[in-house]
Amino acid sequence: MIVQEISAKVRAGERLDAGDALVLYRSAPTGLLGRLADEVRARKHPGRVVTYIIDRNVNYTNVCVAQCNFCAFYRLVGSPEGYVLGFDELFEKIDETIAVGGVQVLLQGGHNPDLPLAWYEDLFRAVKARYPSFKLHALSPPEVIHLSRLSQLPVPQVLDRLIAAGLDSVPGGGAEILVDRVRRLLHCYGKASADEWLDVMRQAHRAGLRTTATMMYGTVETDEERLEHLLRLRALQDETGGFTAFITWSYQPDHTELAGSEATGVDYLRTLALSRIVLDNFDNLQASWVTQGGKVGQLSLAYGANDMGSVMIEENVVRAAGASYCMDEVEIVRNIEDAGFCAKRRNMHYDVLGDPVFRERDVPRMLELAVARDEGGTSLPQELLNYPARSRSGRRLRVIPN
Amino acid sequence: MPVTDAELAALVHSHDIIDIGIRADDARRRRHGARTTFVRVADVPSDLAADVRVPPAAREVRIVGTPPSKAAALERIRAVVSAAGGAAVTGFSLADLEQLAAREQVTLRALLEDMRAAGLELVAEAPIDRLQNPRRSIEQVNIAGLALARLTVHRLESADLAALFHEVTALQEWVAVIRAFAPLPRTINRSVPTTGFDDVKRIALARLLVTNIPSIQVDWSLYGPKLAQVALTVGADDLDAVSAVDDLSEGRRRAPLEEIQRNIRAAGLDPVERDGRFEPIAR
Ligand code: SF4
Repeated sequence: MIVQEISAKVRAGERLDAGDALVLYRSAPTGLLGRLADEVRARKHPGRVVTYIIDRNVNYTNVCVAQCNFCAFYRLVGSPEGYVLGFDELFEKIDETIAVGGVQVLLQGGHNPDLPLAWYEDLFRAVKARYPSFKLHALSPPEVIHLSRLSQLPVPQVLDRLIAAGLDSVPGGGAEILVDRVRRLLHCYGKASADEWLDVMRQAHRAGLRTTATMMYGTVETDEERLEHLLRLRALQDETGGFTAFITWSYQPDHTELAGSEATGVDYLRTLALSRIVLDNFDNLQASWVTQGGKVGQLSLAYGANDMGSVMIEENVVRAAGASYCMDEVEIVRNIEDAGFCAKRRNMHYDVLGDPVFRERDVPRMLELAVARDEGGTSLPQELLNYPARSRSGRRLRVIPN
Repeated sequence: MPVTDAELAALVHSHDIIDIGIRADDARRRRHGARTTFVRVADVPSDLAADVRVPPAAREVRIVGTPPSKAAALERIRAVVSAAGGAAVTGFSLADLEQLAAREQVTLRALLEDMRAAGLELVAEAPIDRLQNPRRSIEQVNIAGLALARLTVHRLESADLAALFHEVTALQEWVAVIRAFAPLPRTINRSVPTTGFDDVKRIALARLLVTNIPSIQVDWSLYGPKLAQVALTVGADDLDAVSAVDDLSEGRRRAPLEEIQRNIRAAGLDPVERDGRFEPIAR
């Protein structure tokens, strides 16, 4: 009975508190959760448009001192498998992205102590000089905090400098679960506590940037903690209105220190639906086909998602943990239309840019996502020599042989 | 409650897979409750040169592939039976056996009787869209004293679903021996695979329309854990082809017992392991 009463609240557009949301999550049949989430989606997006963006996930370095135990991507400082991309490599990736109709890069990486703030500023400036209208969706809150610590500048000042250099928006990575008990268990409290993560987003919104928010679930958190995460995001969105979208995905366990098993497809659809219902002040929810595969990714559109995410061209982080799904623009559009929606290209602000690029001109099909560097490619970019390294191995690498 | 023709037309053309899924789940729960069966299967190639390896966890040993001759098929069946340790030995596609009988110039019934004498218990699959004569061939299976493990769909990716499911229902009305129907195609077009909506709709409509076959089945190995688990929430009640190899080195598509049970429970259902004869395994 109580589930019916809570469902009635959702249908009436009332906000759910933690208690109601928990009952719904735990007790409502999957079909009902989907039905409610779909109704909320339809209220917010009555036109049956489902969007996607053409961009590229570029991970500029895999060297990281944070050592989160759920991460299969990072390499320790001094590791022979560690890499930093050079500016030219990045330009090449941007050229390839533009060639298939891309409008931005999602630039994230490890917390590399040998890349000072000036490196990021120079990189952003160089990108903007070459590609003035191309967007930089870059540096998740923990990376901003890392730069703040490295440069000994407060977060707002770091953000100001990055914005001045060309930062356009901030991706919501590194949120995992915004509860400190969980963050300690995942060894990611050190990179950013829940409050610190939220505060970077608050500062970014105050500085005029729009950002996304994420949740990685399925590690050690309880249902209550998953919900607390959503409620904390909802509260900040009430305060600033700066989030454009929310993306949730399941923890990918392969090759990680934490190991364990991945949450199931039904867990994903239930969590997505709950997010749509609870996050009543978020307009956009993305489907995570990169972790769930194309089929469950498409089914997300019936469970609250209104966006198919990104034709990401390149992906390194999730792949390192075992998931290697690929969808190019043709495939994303086919899935959107097959589900009865109208597919539109968008930018990071969710402004519609137009119809699919492949319908306007020939675009090569992409059957597998690219990687940051070919296997074993760890050459040191020349321009790194211009920046002081902090680590001993970094300093050693920068001694120019003659 | 049977689906009327008008409702059927609306369902087939609807994009509202939540609605279709809820209706199919209701129908499934009326019939099976939360009970969800699964079977751990060891595949053995029909090729005589290949090793016969039967992991101890196998509850069904399935001979896969097309036998080159009747003699080779019978020899293979005998070898597999002696290695199966009492697990049900199933094998072959009934469509391949139709062709083999024609090539060997024997009746299908005679071929099936010889296979039964060699130790085969069930014909592994009858692909409705590949059979020359579905009614007659399935009857021959029965007359020969064998059972049919599952009715399948070989390809039929863009088939008229209503027509397909009417055909299946009519077939079962005639033969009355089909235990399980697996409505998702066995052959996947890699360049244009079916979508999640396609698969969910096909499973749900099969549950709603094919009311005279007890089990709607999904292939766990072929469709993968995520889609197969979702299928259980929209009408499917049986999971086929769970790996009998409890080996973690197989990677993300591995299907050890814990993994399958975890997935079934996470869908709000109760796992029950069965054997290749469709009998629940007592624990
Ligand atoms: S998740 Fe990010 S911060 Fe954590 S170890 Fe991996 S790369 Fe470093």
